[in-house]
Amino acid sequence: MGHREKLLQQISEVSFTVNDLTLYLDTHPTDTKALEAISLAIKERKQLLQTYADQFEPLTMDCVCPDTNNSTKSHTKYGEQKHFTWADGPLPWEGGTF
Amino acid sequence: MWTYEKRLQFPVNITTPCPKTASLIISQFGGPDGELAASMRYLSQRYSMPCKEVGGLLTDIGTEELGHLEIICSMIYQLTKNLTIEQAKTAGFDAYYVDHTTALWPTAASGIPFNACEFQSKGDAITDLVEDLAAEQKARTTYDNLIRIIPDPEVREPLKFLREREVVHFQRFGEALEKIKSDLDFKNFYYFNPEFDKQFVKK
Repeated sequence: MGHREKLLQQISEVSFTVNDLTLYLDTHPTDTKALEAISLAIKERKQLLQTYADQFEPLTMDCVCPDTNNSTKSHTKYGEQKHFTWADGPLPWEGGTF
Repeated sequence: MWTYEKRLQFPVNITTPCPKTASLIISQFGGPDGELAASMRYLSQRYSMPCKEVGGLLTDIGTEELGHLEIICSMIYQLTKNLTIEQAKTAGFDAYYVDHTTALWPTAASGIPFNACEFQSKGDAITDLVEDLAAEQKARTTYDNLIRIIPDPEVREPLKFLREREVVHFQRFGEALEKIKSDLDFKNFYYFNPEFDKQFVKK
């Protein structure tokens, strides 16, 4: 598993934690242990999304930054040319996965 | 408002195409208990839900179901990628191929096209939540049936993940139903429609 896949797996795992805790907190909104856990996971997810976007393609529109995205120039036909990085990377159903 | 995140909720890497398997799992895209019906069910029901927390839960589960729809579609796409003419003629997939080539189109495995009648949005909180509980169980049974007959581990793993999510959603909807009931007269929860006869809902 390459660096890209490893990072994507970490993002997937922490995002799942956020997602599952969201549903739990929807029905248990004052559970302090769950609140602590989701705050941690959200913070970690944000950092991982940023790290991933710096090295590869942005996964969310909030991570799009043509000047700093995709330092490895992977899965893009524009190379060094400044461009809209949202379209970089493989599509999720075309192996954009780990 | 929705935003898109460019990744699948669970990875799909199917290396051996199998149009027959695609023609079976397509039911979880456009079938009676599929992910399209699930997302539309919850996202339609939420507006008139009398309890804010339950409206929020329907939004979050309905959104996750859209992600599940994407997983199922990715599986069908990869199972029917680069088909030979012989593979396209596979029994069970040949009729679909004639109408849609290898594009994604929501239909049940039995051939019935997706239809909004496959879900309900009835305007009664108890009625709708009981429908949602049943829907999660029906989807779970469908995944059970698929997992029982599909041997390829690359197909089974995402199906097992999706099956587990049905179980979690069932649990959450059960809690939502209890929450609604706690706002009603305990002597007879089912006598009034809490979405319409609002005078009977405790504030």
